[in-house]
Amino acid sequence: MADVTLKGVTKIFGDKRAVDSLDLSIADGEFVVLLGPTGAGKTTTLRLIAGLEKPDAGSISIAGRDMAGLSPAGRDVAFVFQQYSLYPHLTVYENLAFPLRSPARRMDGATVDARVRQVARMVRIDHKLENRATRLSGGEMQRVAIGRALVRRPAIYLMDEPLSSLDAKLRGELRLELKRIQKELGSTLLYVTHDQIEAMTMADRIGILAEGRLAQIGTPKEIYTNPANLHVAARLGQPHINLLPPELLPGAPVPAGTRTIGARTEHLEIARSGAGNAEVDWIEHLGDQNHLHIRVGGHKLITLADADLPVSPGERISLTLKNPLYFGQDGRRLAG
Amino acid sequence: MTTSHETFTDKAAQAVVRATPEPLAARVRGLSDRAIAWLFIAPTITLLLAINIFPLFWAIYLSFTNYRANRPNAVVQNVGLGNYSRVLNDPDIWASMQTTAHFVFWTIVLQTVIGFALAYLIDRKFRGHAFWTTLILIPMMLSPAVVGNFWRFLYEPQIGLFAYAVSFLSGIPTSEIRMLGDVRLAPWAIIIVDTWMWTPYVMLICLAGLRSIPDYIYEAAEVDRASNWRQFWSITIPMALPFIMLAVLFRGIENFKMFDMVNLLTGGGPGSTTEVASIALKREAFEAWATGRSSAFAIVLFVAVFGLANIYVKILNRVKQR
Repeated sequence: MADVTLKGVTKIFGDKRAVDSLDLSIADGEFVVLLGPTGAGKTTTLRLIAGLEKPDAGSISIAGRDMAGLSPAGRDVAFVFQQYSLYPHLTVYENLAFPLRSPARRMDGATVDARVRQVARMVRIDHKLENRATRLSGGEMQRVAIGRALVRRPAIYLMDEPLSSLDAKLRGELRLELKRIQKELGSTLLYVTHDQIEAMTMADRIGILAEGRLAQIGTPKEIYTNPANLHVAARLGQPHINLLPPELLPGAPVPAGTRTIGARTEHLEIARSGAGNAEVDWIEHLGDQNHLHIRVGGHKLITLADADLPVSPGERISLTLKNPLYFGQDGRRLAG
Repeated sequence: MTTSHETFTDKAAQAVVRATPEPLAARVRGLSDRAIAWLFIAPTITLLLAINIFPLFWAIYLSFTNYRANRPNAVVQNVGLGNYSRVLNDPDIWASMQTTAHFVFWTIVLQTVIGFALAYLIDRKFRGHAFWTTLILIPMMLSPAVVGNFWRFLYEPQIGLFAYAVSFLSGIPTSEIRMLGDVRLAPWAIIIVDTWMWTPYVMLICLAGLRSIPDYIYEAAEVDRASNWRQFWSITIPMALPFIMLAVLFRGIENFKMFDMVNLLTGGGPGSTTEVASIALKREAFEAWATGRSSAFAIVLFVAVFGLANIYVKILNRVKQR
C-alpha cells in the first residue's frame, strides 16, 4: 500500500481537455471516491494512474516514485473495469489466480492456492470456483473481477464504477462488502462513480470532478454540508437541491451579492397555513416518506416530508428557509 | 379526459383496421394462407429436389448397378455391393484419397497460419490498414479459371515469373524449376496457388474473430502483468479459436472437393501425382464411363466428408460453449 500524488495532470483527446491540470493526493490506506457526471474525466483519471493512458502534462507518483514512462505492469496497480473483464474461457479459480501466475511474481503454487481461496471467500464466490466465467450471473462476474484485483496487494486499487451494472439490491450488498474488505486490508483505493450514495457511504474523502477539474475534495460530511460552489452542492442530496432566487422565500437574512439560494430538505420548514406563500402541487409516496412537489410563485421545489404530514395536493402551506446555502454571481458559496 | 382518451383509441383502432390488408385467402378465391405460403416456396423446393435431392438418390441407386452412361440401351443389372467393394479395394482410388488428404492438410495449415498472421497484423490498425486489407482480398475475388490460367503462365519454366524469381533468389537454373512438370513439385504448385487465392478468406474470418475481443480484456491483462506472449496464448487464441475453426471447416470442405484448380494446372499429372479424389472421380465417370462404380465412389466421398464435418462441428460447438 502506498500514497498516490497527481500534480497538474492533463489529458487532451482531440480538442477536449478530459483531465485539466488535476492535483490530487491520496494518503496511504485511504478510500477516495471521485464523483462526477459522465464526461467529467473520472475514468480518464483512473486510466492515467494505471498507465493505460499517457498524460499530456503533469506528473503522477506512487509511493514517491515518478510513474512517467512506466507501463501498467510496472506500476503495481490493480484495476476493476466497469465491464465484466473476465477471461471468459477460464474458470473462476483460474481468473482469480491469473494475476498471481505472472512470472514477475514468482509465487509458488501453494501460496497462489491459499490466496485465491481466501479472496474467493472474501467476495463470497468460493462455492463457484470451478465454474467457467461465462456461466456466472452479472453480480458473480463482478465479484470475481473485484476478487481478481484483491488477490494482489498492489500500491493502489483503482475501481471504475464496478457496481454500476448490478441491480440495486446487489449493489447495496457489495457496497458494504467492499468497504469492509478495504478496511480489513487497510488498502489504498481510488473509486470512480456517479452514484452519490456509493460515494457518501464508502469514501473517506470524496473528490467532485467537473469538466476535468477537481471542484472540491473533502470528507463526505464536508462536501455535503459545506459545498464550495453550486456544482458541488448539486451533486449531493436526494432529492436534488432546490436552487431559488434570493427573495423568493422568507426566513433568513440574505448576504450581499447572493444570486442563488440552495435549499435541501433540511433547509426548508413547512407549516400548514391557509394563507401560506406556497401550494402543494403533487405528492409522491415512497413508503416511509413522501416527495412533496411544491409551487412557490413561478418556481417548483421538491422536498422530503414525513409520510404522516397531513397535506394534500392543492393545499396551501407556508414555507420558510432555515440556514440555507448562499451562492454568488460566479456560483461560489458565500458565508451565510 | 377519459372520454377523449377513448375517442383517440377508437380512432386509432379504426385506422389500424383500415390499414391492415384483408387475409389473402379472402382475395385469392379457394386458397388458404397456408396454401399460398407453399406456393411461394414451391419453386425453390422444386429446384432443390431436381438439382440436389433427386441426383443424390439417383446416384445412390446407380451405385448398386452396372449402369454405363455411354451405353444407355444396355440392360442395367443390380450388382449389390460389388461397386463398393471394388472402390474400397482399388489402390488407385486410395492413392487419390491420400493425395486429397495431403492437399487438404497442407492448404489448411498454410492458409490458417498465414491468414491468422495477416489478420493479427492488420488488427494492429496501423496507418493505411484499410488499404492493405483491400489489397490482400483481391485474389479471393478472382475467378478460379482466371487464377488457374494465370498461374500456368507464372509457373512456365522458360518465360514464367515464378521460376525466374525462385532462380534469381536461389541460383537454381530455371530449367530445373518445372513446377507443373516435376513429380516432386507439382503437388506444391497447386498448394501454393490455392493458398495464394484463399488465404485472404481465412484472414477475413480470423480478423472478425480478433475484432470481437474487447480492448478492456487486454487492458485488464496488462494491469495483471501478463506478458504479450501470455496475452496472445491466454486471450487472443482462445477467444478467436471458434472463428479459426470455422475458417478451417470452410476451407476443409472446399478443398476436399478441389477440382477446378487441379484440372486447370496439371489435370492430375504428371503421372497421377496430383490426382485428387475429384479428378479420379471424373476419370472413372467420364473417361472410363463406369457410371455405377463412380457413383459408389462419390457416395463414399460424400459419407466421408459429411461424417468428418459433423464430428468437427460437434467439437466446434463444444469450444464455443466454453
